[in-house]
Amino acid sequence: MGFDIFFHALLGVITSGSFVFVLIGVLLGLCFGIIPGLGGTTALALLIPITFSMDSLDAMYLAGGVMGATSFGGSITAILLNTPGTAPNAATTFDGYPLAQQGRAGEAIGASATASAMGGLIGLVTLMLFIPLAKEIVLLFGPVEFLLLTILGLVAIAVSSRGKLLRGLIAGGFGLIFAFVGVDTVSGHTRFTLETDYLWDGIPLVPTLTGLFAISQMIELSLKGGSVVTERVNIGNLTGLWQGVVAVFKHWTVLLRGSLIGTIIGAIPGLGGTVASFIAYTSTVQSSRDPSSFGKGNIIGVIAPESANNAKDGGSLVPTVAFGIPGSAETAVFLGILVLHGIDPGPTLLLENEREVYGLIIALTLSAVGASLIGLLTARWLVKITFVNVNILVPLVVTISLTGVYVLEGKPGDVILALVMGIVGYLMIRFDYPRLTLVIALVLGETAERSFHQSLMISDYNIVGLITERPQAVFLVFATLLTLLLPALRKRKKLN
Amino acid sequence: MSNRIIVSLSCAAVILFGVGTATADWPEKPIKFVVPYSTGGGFDVYVRAVAPEMEKILGVPVVPENIPGAGGQKGAATVYKSEPDGYTIGIFNVPGLTVPPLLGKKVAYDLDQITWLGNLAKDTYSIAVKADSPINSLKDLCSLGRPAKFSDTGPASTSSVTAKISMSLIDCPMTNVTGYKGSSQTIVAAMRGEVDATLKPIGSLRKYVKSGDMKFLVTYENKPSIKGVSSSRELGYNEFEKLTLYRIVGGPPGLPKDVADKLADALLKAANSDAVKEWSTKSKKPLDPIGGAEASALMRDLSVFYAKYKTILAE
Repeated sequence: MGFDIFFHALLGVITSGSFVFVLIGVLLGLCFGIIPGLGGTTALALLIPITFSMDSLDAMYLAGGVMGATSFGGSITAILLNTPGTAPNAATTFDGYPLAQQGRAGEAIGASATASAMGGLIGLVTLMLFIPLAKEIVLLFGPVEFLLLTILGLVAIAVSSRGKLLRGLIAGGFGLIFAFVGVDTVSGHTRFTLETDYLWDGIPLVPTLTGLFAISQMIELSLKGGSVVTERVNIGNLTGLWQGVVAVFKHWTVLLRGSLIGTIIGAIPGLGGTVASFIAYTSTVQSSRDPSSFGKGNIIGVIAPESANNAKDGGSLVPTVAFGIPGSAETAVFLGILVLHGIDPGPTLLLENEREVYGLIIALTLSAVGASLIGLLTARWLVKITFVNVNILVPLVVTISLTGVYVLEGKPGDVILALVMGIVGYLMIRFDYPRLTLVIALVLGETAERSFHQSLMISDYNIVGLITERPQAVFLVFATLLTLLLPALRKRKKLN
Repeated sequence: MSNRIIVSLSCAAVILFGVGTATADWPEKPIKFVVPYSTGGGFDVYVRAVAPEMEKILGVPVVPENIPGAGGQKGAATVYKSEPDGYTIGIFNVPGLTVPPLLGKKVAYDLDQITWLGNLAKDTYSIAVKADSPINSLKDLCSLGRPAKFSDTGPASTSSVTAKISMSLIDCPMTNVTGYKGSSQTIVAAMRGEVDATLKPIGSLRKYVKSGDMKFLVTYENKPSIKGVSSSRELGYNEFEKLTLYRIVGGPPGLPKDVADKLADALLKAANSDAVKEWSTKSKKPLDPIGGAEASALMRDLSVFYAKYKTILAE
C-alpha cells in the first residue's frame, strides 16, 4: 500500500544526497512566496529549463520543495504588510494584518507556520488514503458538479461580506464581468478584447492579483507614510510565537475543517488555493459563535486559510494520480516537467511512474514541515519588516513584484495590467470594497460559465433533470442552501 | 586626425563585411526556435528533442522560446513578422492555424507565405468510447436516434475541426461539447458518460485503452495500425486520412534559399538522428520527418483541402 512505499522512499531521500534538492526547493519556494507578485508557478516555470538536465526524481524533489513552501512564505507578507505574497494568502490578511498592527505578528506567524505544516500533512495523508479511489472520485465530479461548486463559492461571497453585502456583491459582479473577457470556449468568439490580442486569453490572474493586493497596498502605505506598526510595541519575542503554535492545536477543529476544505477544493481542477482558503475562512467565520471578532485580529482567521492553502497541494494530486490531469497551476507545471523527461502523464501515471509521484509527495511533506521550521526560526527577524520606513519598503516591493509579473510570461501588457489593477485596488481600499471578492468571482466565473454551457449541452437543455439524477449534485444543492440559510436560522435561534 | 579616419574606416569595413557575409557565413549566432505553446506541451517536447541535435549539426545554439497565447496564433505571428535572416524559426500547428483565417478571423500571419522547412510528426486521429459503452462501431455512434455527443477543448481546436468535417462527410449528426481544459479531460468526459465519444490522436487515447477505460472505434488512416480496429480507409472513407495534425516547422516569408536549405537539411538530419529516434520510442511520440520541399507541397495541398470545408466549419 501507499504508506510503505512512502516510508521506503522517504528513507531513500534522507540517506541519499537528493535531500539537498528538497532544501534548495524549500528556500526558493519561501523566497518566491514572500515576495508579492512572485509565486509557486513563477518559480516552477523558471526552474523547468534547469530540470531538463536533471534526473527526473531530483526534479520532483526540487518541484515539491518549491510547491510546499510558497504558501507559507506568502503568509509572512500577508501578515506583516497586508500584502499576500501569493494569491492563496489573500484571506490570511483579514486577521493576520490586524494582529501585526496590534504587535502580535509573532503569534500570527507562529500560527501560520504550524497551520501550514499541519494542513500540508493532513492533505497528503488524505491523498494517500484516497489514492486507491482516486479514479472514482474524479469520475464523480462532472460539469454539473463543477457548476454547483462554483455557485457554492459565489454564495460564500454573499455570506462572507456581512454588513457589507451590497459592496461585496458589486465587487463580485465586477469580478464576473472580468471573467468574461477573452475567447469564449464554447462559441470561439472573442469578447471585450478591446481589439488587442493581449486580452484573447482573458484577464490573466497573476498580474491582476499583484495589482489588486500588492501595488494597491503600496499606494495606500506610501500615502499614509511611516511604517506598518506606528507605535513602538514589544514584538518579536518568542513567547508570542509559541502562543501561535499552541493556538493551532487548541483550535484543532478549525485546523481540520480548513485542511479538509483545502484538500477537496484542491482536487477540483481550475479552482485552486485562492478559492480554497477563501471558503475555509468564510466557513470558519460562519460557524463561529462570535463572528464579529473576525477581521479584527482573531487568530482562528489565520489558522483556517493557512491550513487550507497548504492542504490543497495534496488534493490537487488526486486528479493527477488518477488520470494525469493537473489539479492546480503548480501541478500543471509538475506534469510539464514529467513530459520533458519523456514521461507521458495519463491513467497509468501512478503505475508506471510511482517513483516520481511518491518523490513529489515526499518532497511536499518535507517541504511543508521544513518551510515552517525555517519560518519559526527566522520569525523574530522577519517581524522587523513592519518597522521599515515606507520610503524604503514601497519602491522595493513595487519593483520586485512588477519584475515578477513580467518574468512569468514576458508580456509588457501584464505590467500595465498590474498597474491598472493597482489603482483599482487602491480605490477599492479607499471606498471599502472587498478586493478578494472580486478575485474569487474572477476565478469562479470562468469555470461557472464553461460548466454551465457544458451542462446545458450534456443534458439537452434540461439541467434540473441532470441534477436530480445525480446524488452528488443533489448533495451540493443542499450544501449551498444550507450555507445561505444558516446565518438566518442562527439569528432566529438567538432571538428565541 | 588621420588616426580617427583609419579607425572609422576600419569600423565601416567591419560593418560592411559583416553585412555582406551575413548569409554566406550563416549561421554565426544562436537560432531562436519559437514554440507557440507553453513548456511541456506536445509541440514543446518535439522542439526540445530536436533542438540539441540541430545545434550539433549547425554549430550554433538552437534555443527553444515559448511564446504561448491565443491558441498558438501569437507564436505564429512572431515567426511570420521576424527578419528573414535564418535566426528565427518556429513550429506550427496545422490545421489549428489553417482554420481561423478560413472562418474570416483576423490573424497576424499568412501560412501561404511562410517558408516551410520540414515536418516533424503527424498525429493520426481516432474515435474512442467508454470501454463498457454499447456503441461498438462508427455506425452505432451515428444511429443513436439523436446527435452523437463529442467532447473537446475549444471549437477551433484541431480535433474539433476534424470531428466536424469528418462527421459531416458521412452525414452523421453530432454535437460538440467544448470547454474542457486539456485533452485528458475530454477523454475523462467520455468515461463519465456525459458525452458519447471523443476524437483525439491515437497517441493520447492509447493509454486509456491500455488501462481498460476506453475502446477505439475507428482510426483515421489508410491501413489499420491497431489490431482489431478498423481504419477509415477500410470503412470506405478515403478523405478521413487527410485530417491529420501536423507539427510542421517554418521560417518567415522571404527566407533566402541557401539559408532555408541549410535549415531544412539540419532539421531533417536532426529528426532522423539516433538520439531523437531513441527519445521517440521511449516517450511514445510518433516521428514522421519530411524535408522542406515535401512540406511546402503538403501545405499547398492542405490549404486547398481545408478551404473546401469552409461552409461546414462556419456552422
